[in-house]
This record gives sequence, C-alpha cells and structure tokens, in this order.
Amino acid sequence: MVSDYQVVVIGAGLGGVASAALLAKNGFKTLLLEQSDTVGGCCSTFENQGYRFDTGATMVMIREPLEAIFRRLGKEMGDFLKLIPCDPIYAVRAFDGTRFAVPADLDQASEMIASIAPEESNGWKEFARAGRELALRLGEIIGTPANSVSEVLRMQLRSPETFRYLLLSLRSAQGLTLRYLRNPVLQSIVAFQSYFAGAPPELGLGPSCFLVLSEHQGVYYPRGGMISVPASILKAAEEFNLEVALERKVERILLEGGRARGVLLEDGTEIIADIVVSNVNAKVTYLKMIGPENLPRWAVKAISSYQLAMAYPMVYLGLDAEPPLEAHHLISTASMERSNQVWNEYYKLGLIPPGDNWMLSWPTESDPSLAPEGHHILSFAWRGPAPYAPLGENWDRLRESLGDGAIRVLEREVMPDIRKHIEVVEVSTPLDFERRLLCPQGAVYGLFFDLFSAAMFRPHPRSRVVRNLYLAGASTCLGGGVPTALASGIIASDYIIRDYG
Amino acid sequence: MKKSRKLMALAALAGSVALWFSLSESTRRYIVHLGKQVPYLPYRYFI
Ligand SMILES: Cc1cc2nc3c(=O)[nH]c(=O)nc-3n(C[C@H](O)[C@H](O)[C@H](O)COP(=O)(O)OP(=O)(O)OC[C@H]3O[C@@H](n4cnc5c(N)ncnc54)[C@H](O)[C@@H]3O)c2cc1C
Repeated sequence: MVSDYQVVVIGAGLGGVASAALLAKNGFKTLLLEQSDTVGGCCSTFENQGYRFDTGATMVMIREPLEAIFRRLGKEMGDFLKLIPCDPIYAVRAFDGTRFAVPADLDQASEMIASIAPEESNGWKEFARAGRELALRLGEIIGTPANSVSEVLRMQLRSPETFRYLLLSLRSAQGLTLRYLRNPVLQSIVAFQSYFAGAPPELGLGPSCFLVLSEHQGVYYPRGGMISVPASILKAAEEFNLEVALERKVERILLEGGRARGVLLEDGTEIIADIVVSNVNAKVTYLKMIGPENLPRWAVKAISSYQLAMAYPMVYLGLDAEPPLEAHHLISTASMERSNQVWNEYYKLGLIPPGDNWMLSWPTESDPSLAPEGHHILSFAWRGPAPYAPLGENWDRLRESLGDGAIRVLEREVMPDIRKHIEVVEVSTPLDFERRLLCPQGAVYGLFFDLFSAAMFRPHPRSRVVRNLYLAGASTCLGGGVPTALASGIIASDYIIRDYG
Repeated sequence: MKKSRKLMALAALAGSVALWFSLSESTRRYIVHLGKQVPYLPYRYFI
C-alpha cells in the first residue's frame, strides 16, 4: 500500500494531464497514472520504422485552454510548445467534384465562397455574422464551467449575450445551417464539422455548425507531433509536486463511506489518496471502477442512459515521396442528407458506411522532422461513423480491407501511384483504440454529444455521487476534442482547488 | 361545456398531428432523439 499522495489522477489523456499539472502547481502532491507506455491518450504520437504517426487528433484549434494552462503554470507557452499555423486550413473535395482550399483569413475565405457559390454570398455573410461572435468567444465559453443551473445563470449574468447561444442550442446543427445556407457544398462542409463534434448534422448541437468559423481563429500543428501538447504541459509542470507513472493500470477506485480514498492497480497495489480524478470514460469510471453495487439506483440509471460516442478508424501511411497536396488537411465531404443517411441507414444498423466523409492529414508538411528526410506521413481518418460491432464482421478481420480501402481512395483522389511509395501502413480500428487506450468501443469522444448530454447534462466534473471523486476528459463538460478535453482538466482542477485549496 | 372542451382537445390533437407531419423527417428524428432522453435528464443532472 502506498499512501503518500493528495491526488491520484487516472489516465494521462489531455484532461488528466491538464488537471494533474495544475493541481501540482497549486501544491497538491499528485500522482498521474497511465496504463499505456506513453502520455496523451488520443492526442499522442507513436513511432514505426522512423515515422512518427499521430494516434488520433491531428490538429489544435481554439488555443485558449492551452494558453490558459501555461499561464496558470506561470510559464511561457512558446518556451515549451511551438504551434505551427496551417494556412490554408484545409483543402476540400466536395461530393459534387468541387475542389477548393479554405484560407485561414475569414474575409479571404468569404471571397472564395462568393466565387464558388455566388448565390450564397448573402447567406454566408449572415451565417458568419450570426456565428462570428460565438466563434470568437468559443475559447472563453469552453473554459467556463456550465455544469449546473447556477453556473449557467452566472455565465448569463456575466455575459448576457451568451443567452443567444443557449437559444441556438435548441436547434440541431442541420436546422441552424439550413437557416442560412442553401448551397449544398457549403452545407456539406458544415455537416462534416458536425461529425467533428461527434454527431450527424440532424442530431448535433446547433452551435457546432459554427466550428467552421472558429477554425479561422487558427488551426495549428504542434512541432514534434500531437504528443507535444501533453508532453509540453508535463514538462512545464516538472518542477512541481507531480509524479507520472506509465504502464500502471487502475482496476478499481477504492471507496470508504461513500468517499473515494484511492485506487487499486491491476498488480494489486493500493494507492491511498484524499482525492481521485478520473480521466477515463465516465461509464467505465462509474460502472466498472466503482461498480453499480456501490452506487444508488438513480445514478446507475443516469450513467447507463448515455450512449457512447462513435469511433474513428485511422490509417497511417509512411511514404518515400511527397504527396501532391495543397494543404496540411484535406477533407472529403458528403452532402448533408448523405451524412444523415450514413448514420441512420448504416451506423445504427451496424453496417460500415461507404467512405465519403474522410479527412487526410499531412503532418510532415508542417513538421518534416516527423519522417526520415524526404519521406512523408499521411493519416487517413474515416469521419463517417464506424460501428463498433459491424454486422457479421469483426474489425480484426476488416483491418486489412480498411487500410486497402483508404489507399484506394487516395489512389483515386490524391496520388495515383501512391502504392509504389508506401513504406509503412498501420491501421487503428475501433477495437485497436479500445485495446490500446481502454476507451470502450473505441469511443474516443467519450459519450455521444448532443443537447441533452452536454454541459450540465453530462457527468459532472465534481462527482455528485461519490465524494472526493472528480472527472475530466471527453466524457465531461463540452465533450471530445483537444480544447474541450484540456478545458475539462482546468475546470476539474478549479473545483478541487476551491474545495480543498 | 363538456362537449366544447372535447372538441377543443380534438382540435388540438389534430393540429399537433398536422404539425408533426408538416415537419421534415430530419426534424422529427431530432425531436424523437431528444424526447427519448427526457426521462433521464433529472438523473443526468445529478450524476
Ligand atoms: C482519430 C481521432 C481523431 C481526432 N481528431 C481530433 C482533432 O483533429 N482535433 C481535436 O480537437 N480532437 C480530435 N480528436 C479528439 C481528441 O483527441 C480527444 O477527444 C481528446 O484527446 C480526449 O482527451 P481525454 O482527456 O478525454 O483523454 P483520452 O484521450 O481518452 O485519454 C484517456 C487516457 O486514460 C488512459 N486510461 C484508460 N483507462 C485507464 C486505466 N484503467 N488506468 C490508467 N489509465 C487509463 C488511457 O490509456 C488514455 O491515455 C480525435 C480523436 C481521434 C481518436
């Protein structure tokens, strides 16, 4: 038994890393436990034959939470992390064959949109007017706790204009998009963003359609790969009371009189602490690590009622040549109707949708040091939803065809002779994500995200069922994504500092 | 009095049905999707 810590954080994903670093800075003796051999969870980087591939997340947008963490650590972000801007933010291959690249500057982007959809220039202006302010303030909104009625009210009192965003949230992403945009290509880009936030356009939270505007605040790639985000935070917190232990899997959260009092590791070690922070999926935290037998019936009902987020299979390629791309990111978009159809007629029935929604990242465009000299990396993410249990199939059997399917798409759309240049192929199926990161069903965005499973209807970062237990990560606050997961870590640490500091 | 109340209830029902079918399929799916979660909201709020 080890009993030397005030705080034990389970999982070194972004939420876990952010909360551990901030708690350590605030004088809490903190232990960060990670079951895998590296930090970052979905925001990490691994090496294969000299290529450094990003596990999941491929870009950083909405920098505020990241900047806030360094500020609170009393450090200059630039001394630890170099964010390289991506401009154009992405190139688009729309479902009807339209191709264009979206410049980072919003005014230039509006001009470009006017040239591809002249009939839409007014609608786009209206859309940009409606969403620009929200897009500008997204960083602040993400970082403000809205986990109870009183917190939401406080937010409204502090900035009354946020009430408008609450009203917008009553509509679906599709409903809000159709209010402004008629052009199917523009609609398809917005629909793509909805999946980015984890839901099809007809079910997604209305304001998520404005993500398309917040990207104009800047999309960045961290030098050294996505792992640089968590690694730089930990480096900045090195001098504080923080210990990081890799390859330490937590089996159970120990309880005493309804309070968390530490954790039990897979190897049988008990670590006693005053406070436990879980960065693990909230369903796993409550139903496996605590167990339904230790929870009131209503709490089991609550946590069981959440649907897990969908999975995103990835195909990573190492090439011995430069791909002919015009931007760091390339997205292929299906029409809005098609994006809903793949959800209703494929995903929900356990069928693998045809891959019309996908995103290609070219990290070596921003940071050539990620591959041997003259070599390049492409990461292909199927952005259409992938069922965890494909009907009559198994992801282990499908692995090869998943990789081959991505290569065929790239042959057709990007580089006809790509096969000749491939040196390394790696595939991450939903099962692989589950095995490597222990995220149930490969649900890298934690829980499904919509109006009734966001903010105060998502599991609270300060558990209301188990005292001394706090949660951070994609299952809490405003859901999955690099900025939201980081912000959840800030919010969880703020609650702890307020409760115990 | 009783009859007029019944008529009003019937009219309201007919209006709601007409309104429901005037909505797009997507909007209907959105409402059903949210509606199914409503019973859990009080529990979710307290977890
Ligand atoms: C393919 C893909 C693409 C994405 N693209 C983007 C993008 O471009 N931009 C963006 O903003 N977001 C993107 N995301 C989402 C973003 O990466 C995640 O939402 C975010 O990183 C999740 O952070 P988290 O704090 O929830 O922790 P997680 O990443 O879920 O990490 C949890 C950690 O806990 C550890 N753990 C689990 N169980 C245990 C246990 N029992 N004991 C100890 N440790 C445990 C895991 O190993 C893991 O390291 C993407 C995700 C994926 C998978």
